[in-house]
Amino acid sequence: MSSMLSFIIRRLLILPLLLIAVTILIFSMLSMLTPYERVSLYVKDIPKRQGAMEGLIKKYGLDDPVPVQYWRWMAGTKNPDTGEIEGGVLRGNLGWSKTGKGTVWEVIGRRLPATAELALWTAIPMIGIGIYLGVVSAVNHNKLLDQILRVFSIVGWSIPVFVFGLIVLLFFYAKLGWFPPGRLSDWASQVVQSSQFIRYTNMNSIDALLNGRLDIFRDAVRHLVLPVITLAYLDWAYLLRVTRSSMLDTLNQDYMTTARAKGLSENKVIRRHALPNALIPVVTVGALMLIGLLNGVVITETIFNIPGMGSFLAESAISLDVISVLGITMFNCLILLVGNLIVDILYGVIDPRIRLR
Amino acid sequence: MTEILSVQGLETQFRTREGIVHAVNGVSFNLDEGETLGIVGESGCGKSVSVMSMLRLIPSPPGQVVAGKALYQGKDLLKMTDDEIRHVRGAQISMVFQDPMTFFNPVLTIGKQVSEPLEIHNGMNKKMAYERAAKVLEMVGIPKAKERLEDYPHQFSGGMRQRVMIAMALITNPQLLIADEPTTALDVTIQAQIVELVQRLREELGMAIIWITHDLGIIAGLAKRVAVMYGGCIVEEAEVKELYANPMHPYTRGLLGSLPRMDESDHRRLVSIDGMPPILMEKPKSCPFLSRCTYAVDHCKTENPALKSLSPNHKVACWVDPNTGREF
Ligand SMILES: Nc1ncnc2c1ncn2[C@@H]1O[C@H](COP(=O)(O)OP(=O)(O)O)[C@@H](O)[C@H]1O
Ligand code: SF4
Ligand SMILES: [Mg+2]
Repeated sequence: MSSMLSFIIRRLLILPLLLIAVTILIFSMLSMLTPYERVSLYVKDIPKRQGAMEGLIKKYGLDDPVPVQYWRWMAGTKNPDTGEIEGGVLRGNLGWSKTGKGTVWEVIGRRLPATAELALWTAIPMIGIGIYLGVVSAVNHNKLLDQILRVFSIVGWSIPVFVFGLIVLLFFYAKLGWFPPGRLSDWASQVVQSSQFIRYTNMNSIDALLNGRLDIFRDAVRHLVLPVITLAYLDWAYLLRVTRSSMLDTLNQDYMTTARAKGLSENKVIRRHALPNALIPVVTVGALMLIGLLNGVVITETIFNIPGMGSFLAESAISLDVISVLGITMFNCLILLVGNLIVDILYGVIDPRIRLR
Repeated sequence: MTEILSVQGLETQFRTREGIVHAVNGVSFNLDEGETLGIVGESGCGKSVSVMSMLRLIPSPPGQVVAGKALYQGKDLLKMTDDEIRHVRGAQISMVFQDPMTFFNPVLTIGKQVSEPLEIHNGMNKKMAYERAAKVLEMVGIPKAKERLEDYPHQFSGGMRQRVMIAMALITNPQLLIADEPTTALDVTIQAQIVELVQRLREELGMAIIWITHDLGIIAGLAKRVAVMYGGCIVEEAEVKELYANPMHPYTRGLLGSLPRMDESDHRRLVSIDGMPPILMEKPKSCPFLSRCTYAVDHCKTENPALKSLSPNHKVACWVDPNTGREF
């Protein structure tokens, strides 16, 4: 187990380095803009006159060498008037979001729960169904069931998400009126925002359960059905394919013969000997999918009008709010890196060959 | 001695894209309790498929046992229900495989894998099964066996892994151990140690053994009888000494002739006879060895010779008496 510990420590030491690499990458993209362009981005109220802009460029050193600017961006700058240090990515300051009308962190705090809720509800059926059907498909290799599932997964894989999303929205909302877009109905929104309703997580469905409000839970779920189906439909198909091929590979391994030669039933051969091996790559893929969902799904959130991270990114990009886009990118990188760290640790836990290297 | 296994006319085919591969074409042999039978032959001649067919471990599709019987203590393994044969596998007939790395599950501990047969066949709980596993591992010569139960296969050396596999096979005290080229993947000194170990265990436990190999040197020290396979058939079967002193099939002669001389090395392997073993896309109508045989006569082209007894302990499948060069 001590080697497991050193494995985790090694990965933790790498994490800050990766984050710094990300900041360098993002900053170099930013420095492709001219000082004039950046003045107009960084300053809340753009001065009308050219001279004032030049003054600001001088004041904030926007024509200094890029490394100097990078350091200032990371560490923050001293306000010459008040003497306080302002900004600074290292100090956790990602700037002001025009789109969200708050600091980038505040807006992320507001937007993340909707995305997290969507990710949570999508991940459960997606991972469950994807893995289960992948195993079924592999165990019935080349039989009718396998063929049917493969066709389904190819269809799922090849329909673009905006097409699928719009079709389900048109059919289940516009035509049948079953599942509306948005997060909650108006009456439910009012309850949720009232003082009797305690916001534990800001995920409506979870909070509704915790507050014992089944009616609101039902309303939240009704709003979640279509985006969840849309997202899960994309990813279960992929997960099915990954699981299937990993399982097929495992079923061809020599140790399957050993397991059968021991007198294990076919069921136990699969459960005890095949699955722990076959699921190793699937865990990685599934976890990375979950991270992807947490980073926000631009198209799905936009189609279903969900105020999450994905639609925040889309809105910022459309209004050329570069500060927000950069902030979201930094945040998503953080999630991605931490998520990858967790996946790596998980990988070490489930695969003894890696853990003990 | 009572007979423990009687294989009769076993035939196994594989349906492949290129056609039907006739891997085993009527293999018959018997085995007494506590007896050791060697099966030798070049790679691809059907040794593994023969024994795997007996235990119904051939992947199907593409494989299929199309004819024959495999009577284990009088009951046909090929006609048993899935449940019945499961109670034979690993409990009464155990297998040891060639590559001790790939035949172990890489993500399960040795303790779990070695004790598993006890758990499924003897209904033992984990604690007891692990205790017994530690004992058996000690018996096969794993140092500090108890401490190594939580280790994984890749933490053992090749030779140690093969010892572990032998322990896993013998933990249920089977009547019959089938070892499919158990030393092929190991280097020479380790091979000798494994053979010694199996000899010792055989004395202690008294199980019958089928030992598949292409190392004739190993067979001579282990087995009482040897069956030589070629093209999915047993082409000669005799007591070890008789086979060495008086090989009757041209293929066996080739094998022995291509060995280094006895006094040069104890390790006599099958080297090469000119030509390649056949992949049989149809049931052989002529002798499968025909294309490589220097003794062939016309009869060999029209009919595949059956295994026939020359004396009570010597059988051969050949039209020609190689000592005279004429048909029997
Ligand atoms: N899964 C399979 N599919 C097709 N052919 C096979 C398969 N397994 C074995 N065979 C064929 O059966 C023949 C005998 O193989 P095998 O018994 O493994 O030989 P060996 O004597 O080396 O153990 C070979 O010619 C091989 O081509
Ligand atoms: S039957 Fe004919 S071809 Fe076959 S081994 Fe004997 S002599 Fe050679
Ligand atoms: Mg083989």
